[in-house]
Amino acid sequence: MQKATIQPLKDLEMFLAADETVDVDQLIPLPFPYEDWHDEPIPGLSNDQASRIESGPDGVCAAQIPVPPSDEARERLVAKFLEGLKKLLTRENNWTFLQPLLLSMDNCVKCQTCAEACPIFTGSGRMEIYRPTFRAEMLRKIVDRYIKPGGHVFPTLRGNDIELSWDTLVKLAELSYRCTLCRRCAQACPVGIDNGLITREIRKLFSQELGIAMPELHEKGTVKQLTVGSSTGLNPAGLMDVMEFAEEDILEKTGINIKIPFDVEGAEYLVMHNAGEFLSWPENLQAFAIILTLAGISWTLSSELVGYDSVNYGLFYDDVQYARVALKHYEVAKKLGVKKIMVGECGHAHKAIMPVADRLIPDELRVRSESCLVVLEDLVLNEKILLDPSRNDFPVTLHDPCNITRSMGIIQPQRNILRKIAPRFREMEPHGVNNYCCGGGSGFAVCQSLNFPSWKAKVSGRLKFRQLLEAFSDSIEPETKKYVCAPCSNCKGQMRDLLSYYQAWERTGMLYGGLVELVVNAMVDVREGFIDWDFH
Amino acid sequence: MPKFTQGDVTIDVDEDGFMLEPEQWNEEVAKALATTEGVEDLTEAHWKVVNYLREYYLQFGVAPMIRKLCKETGFKLKEIYDLFPSGPAKGACKVAGLPKPTGCV
Repeated sequence: MQKATIQPLKDLEMFLAADETVDVDQLIPLPFPYEDWHDEPIPGLSNDQASRIESGPDGVCAAQIPVPPSDEARERLVAKFLEGLKKLLTRENNWTFLQPLLLSMDNCVKCQTCAEACPIFTGSGRMEIYRPTFRAEMLRKIVDRYIKPGGHVFPTLRGNDIELSWDTLVKLAELSYRCTLCRRCAQACPVGIDNGLITREIRKLFSQELGIAMPELHEKGTVKQLTVGSSTGLNPAGLMDVMEFAEEDILEKTGINIKIPFDVEGAEYLVMHNAGEFLSWPENLQAFAIILTLAGISWTLSSELVGYDSVNYGLFYDDVQYARVALKHYEVAKKLGVKKIMVGECGHAHKAIMPVADRLIPDELRVRSESCLVVLEDLVLNEKILLDPSRNDFPVTLHDPCNITRSMGIIQPQRNILRKIAPRFREMEPHGVNNYCCGGGSGFAVCQSLNFPSWKAKVSGRLKFRQLLEAFSDSIEPETKKYVCAPCSNCKGQMRDLLSYYQAWERTGMLYGGLVELVVNAMVDVREGFIDWDFH
Repeated sequence: MPKFTQGDVTIDVDEDGFMLEPEQWNEEVAKALATTEGVEDLTEAHWKVVNYLREYYLQFGVAPMIRKLCKETGFKLKEIYDLFPSGPAKGACKVAGLPKPTGCV
């Protein structure tokens, strides 16, 4: 790891005036066998697109903000922003996160320790606009000049040298989508400033007050989930088709006949999966079904709208949408009368259903919830399922989802399981609470539009890919098949895109998947070969 | 709103070229969309994939699992990539007139 070099934040106005695009030659270099790797520049929007959609100061586009039709429309939006900002800073309008927001806004000592902790800042070759303090400082200057009493008097002398204009707002909104909310910066900060939280509150202000949010999170995310049942668009009929296929597939692959339980009242666990698993990684839900059934656990899935999709993208951008989805999750569990919710391999669902709900949802509306990792640890360590680790005789490394590790402190269960089932397990460095984000956090993994996929493969995922190569450096040749264990749907989506962009299968024989697939691959009662190395 | 025009075909598409109104799809549209995916001729194998995706979408409102697509059409994943170079989700679904996949897929 590079030694920390602490530099001051360069003049904000200077960097806001100039656009700063990613220079692919400055991206952190990759080790063997990637010394010859060449990245093409991130493409800009076409002229036609640029006439309709705003993009960030780096030419990248995530929020897909429509270009306002007139100067009056721009002024109206700026006025709305200021109104929204005032609300963000008052308890009656922001009781949810006002305290941590103000603590972080008021107490940053600008030491820049956070900068070197940020995988996007360092991965990009240290672009100023990606510094964790950059967008926070923008917001601070706007507050100081336009909200605080007397802030408009000699603003430049006070350092409040930011002009609030539509262009400034576009930059702020887009830059709030160049941070994965991984909160590695908050952990590194000597005074506990949470620039991830500030970024999330900026997103919230834009979403709740101006209707600006990444479409994959809002229209195609929470809105779709609350109307159709899942952000994937999967309706209950489709769900049943998926499950029928899963049962057939399990029988064919393992020789075991399993009935996937639905809507069982009074079950011990309501298992909530990210519905992405159903469509893109069905072997994950199959593996859960095999383990829980063979271990004799009392469990069920729900077929009710929202109940079969654990995602809650509101966590990333909007309190209202967060609450709507969270309440629906608990309502489904209460109706079934289950004892607990078991959250499957999805990091942000863990955080949404557990620690954030602890803060925001009243106790009487909640249902006890547990991480699948904790349940699995008990089954594996206490030998409630029979395992033959020699079946997993290939190199395995573990990617830590930020929301499970840094946000919740669940570190050892997944490791205890791997030590028991994967003889060639090795850690990547750094790991645990010090992990690097996959680069797809905070909804980036689901954003597949315009030039954003190019950005996240090259910039936000760069350090993670370097870590993977380093973890497998003793056996990097493509003939040795190796497994990146990523127990989170969002991380898996990013892993898929990263491994594909860097041609990792062809160059290094690297495959990715969840944790339960590895468990089932080692189960004595299951026919050998659950992991399908040819399916990539 | 971006439009995609080729020959007699004019359709509304999203920023990544997926149809916004899948009910406007027909075989001519499929042929036109295929050219944007680097597929000049839709062979019988292409149609097998496209028709399966189409029928599944009309029934369930989403694209099928890739694993199911492979099983039902008899093609290996690699063969689907050979037919549609940008893959089943981005390439084949676009030609079949499905909207762009959403959620953690």
